[in-house]
Amino acid sequence: MNKVLRNPWAYGLFVIPALIMYIAIYILPLLSSLQHSFTNWNGINEATFNGLDNFKKAFTDEKFWIAFKNNIIFVLFSAFVQVPIIIFISMVISGVRKNLNFYKTTVFLPSILSTAVVGVLWQFIYHPDVGLINQLLRAIGLESWTHAWLGEESTAFLSILITNSWQWFGFYIVLLLAAIFSVPKELLEAAEMDGAVGLKRSWFITIPIIRPVILVIMLLAITGAMNSLDIVLIMTYGEPFGSSEVMGTYLYKQAYKFNDFGYASAISIIIFAFTVLVTVIFQWIAKRTEEVEH
Amino acid sequence: MNKKTMLSLTMIMAMSLTATVGCSNKEAAPTDGTSTPKVTEFKVSLRHINVRDTSKPQQDILLEAVKAAETALPGVKYELDGVEDTVNRDTKLKAEMAAGNPPIIFDLFGGPDTQNYQKAGHLLDLTPILADLGLSDKFIDLGEFTVDGKVYGLPRSGYTEGVFYNKTMFADAGVSVPKTWDEFLAVCEVLKGKNIVPIASGTGGPDGWVVNMIANSLFVREAGKEVQEGFVNGTSKWNDPKVIESFKKLETLKTKGYLDKSALALKYAEGQAKFYQGGAAMTMDGSWAVSAFEDKEKSKIAGNVGFFNFPEVGGPGDGYINGGFSNGYGFSSHANENELKGIKEFIKQYYTEALQKKALLTANDFPSMKLQDSSGTTGVLNEVISVTNEAKGIFTAFDSVVQPKVKVTLETTMQELIGGKVTPEKAAEKMQKIQDEANAGK
Repeated sequence: MNKVLRNPWAYGLFVIPALIMYIAIYILPLLSSLQHSFTNWNGINEATFNGLDNFKKAFTDEKFWIAFKNNIIFVLFSAFVQVPIIIFISMVISGVRKNLNFYKTTVFLPSILSTAVVGVLWQFIYHPDVGLINQLLRAIGLESWTHAWLGEESTAFLSILITNSWQWFGFYIVLLLAAIFSVPKELLEAAEMDGAVGLKRSWFITIPIIRPVILVIMLLAITGAMNSLDIVLIMTYGEPFGSSEVMGTYLYKQAYKFNDFGYASAISIIIFAFTVLVTVIFQWIAKRTEEVEH
Repeated sequence: MNKKTMLSLTMIMAMSLTATVGCSNKEAAPTDGTSTPKVTEFKVSLRHINVRDTSKPQQDILLEAVKAAETALPGVKYELDGVEDTVNRDTKLKAEMAAGNPPIIFDLFGGPDTQNYQKAGHLLDLTPILADLGLSDKFIDLGEFTVDGKVYGLPRSGYTEGVFYNKTMFADAGVSVPKTWDEFLAVCEVLKGKNIVPIASGTGGPDGWVVNMIANSLFVREAGKEVQEGFVNGTSKWNDPKVIESFKKLETLKTKGYLDKSALALKYAEGQAKFYQGGAAMTMDGSWAVSAFEDKEKSKIAGNVGFFNFPEVGGPGDGYINGGFSNGYGFSSHANENELKGIKEFIKQYYTEALQKKALLTANDFPSMKLQDSSGTTGVLNEVISVTNEAKGIFTAFDSVVQPKVKVTLETTMQELIGGKVTPEKAAEKMQKIQDEANAGK
């Protein structure tokens, strides 16, 4: 293998197809969006240069800021609600003796569904009249707790967050389980002999060791939250009244309903810049807190 | 061979295989030396919107026409591609038009859509084809597909909009069809008192256009038919008192609890389902929905549904019914010689009196062509046809008159109005601001 890779032609042969795809699907569209973000363009006729107008529009656009705020909430929910729950469930499943594969498979199943399917499925669950949630509430006599989950401002976005978590829990849990099972047994036995059991063992031994994987999961969840589009579009389309709008759906609407591709491109650049910023901050925090060597 | 050569060969084969996968089809090789003429096989892409369960009758008709065209024109193969209507109109077709490569035949809306695409040069001028096929006078109204005197699309069917109602619920509640707005409110009050949802409407998410059917009838009733063109040419404004009054009336339906309180949580199909599953007494919808309401398998009210014109408010627009011929097929101006033949044959086979009659009887579609004989309709469609004939006249839907930006803004603004997020006055100001921008060409 080493001989092959030293040969520049062979090296190129391996790298070029992927590089071409990367440039064509990622770099070129990014540059094109960057270029169009400085123009006024309706998608059909010529694009006219308009400087920083689109960015200025974004900063004064109240609806954009609501979308931005929702993205932040999404990120915080992913990092501080989703991830701890994932860690907890992983710990619980890792302690299971029998039928481990059954639990792993069941928990992973939602991740193999396409987002469209998940969105439609949960629309039925949230349906105000015949949905599972409201029917259960009525059956136990809590009629007053029923809501039009996707139709009310106060509950719409949270409902989407819960659905999104449900979809991705399994995926992250399986990743984390692999990490938990790769913790050296000697370490765990030594800890047990020293008197660390159960919760203490998990908190002081296991979690620090699987920390790198936890960080990866957090990063994936955060970047997923930043560029979410499909789940929101399918479940609520950003309604009611833009309360569940995220930057992704806002730019989608600007492009396809208002034909303002210049503004939409500007928003996409803002999403890109902000995601890079969040990632950099995240990496910095991760580096500052120490890693456990073993 | 040594390992290195094997590896290189495998790489080259894999890469060339991947490269050829995306290639387009080649034409079939002609048979040589025989007396049968060369048959060039070619494809014609056809984008349709018959993907819902409720569009099966329309799809059957389309397939019948396609089959007839393939038989009549040797070598042609129509490639059908089905996409949901709002996705095609708002997203997919728009993107294809922007890239300059729409399908050869595609579902098209009249009004601004046709005007914009014609301006960008992507629509085929059909006037000569219509003349050739003798169809120039056969359509009831081609207005929405005509730009500068030339025709760029052909409507498949027409529609009118009004209020559908559950006859049993009305009888049980002891109410009759209301003629005026006050009678309408009274009927709603009685129904509400019996714990029946008076008006169903699935107008959440992307379906803000559904509640706009009510809004449109209201502001035309209050301010007159001409108000719509007036918005665009400046002679009327959204914040005129009459228009504000129409917004107030819409708001009343919500504040008095007559409009389903889940309206913003349901999408269009769910709102329809609520009505035809017996969950509400009335709904405002178009004649295209008749198929869904009369579907014996899915609808609980099949054979038991009625229709009436939107009530009168005592304004200049009373008695008119919202309707039009605004949806049908358009054709790409980038078609080559063979594809043009495919287009002409398709028009010849699809726009016939026989298929129009079939659409009327099986799909409950209003014919867009003049039928010599339109007997044989049953059920609520009969009522729709007679109500339409008795109406003072037809007014076209506002969204085929105003600019797309204004249409979209009314959708979100009316959602906000019935959600209590904006007052009628504020809503009117918002609409006028956007109308001014659109009129200024921004």
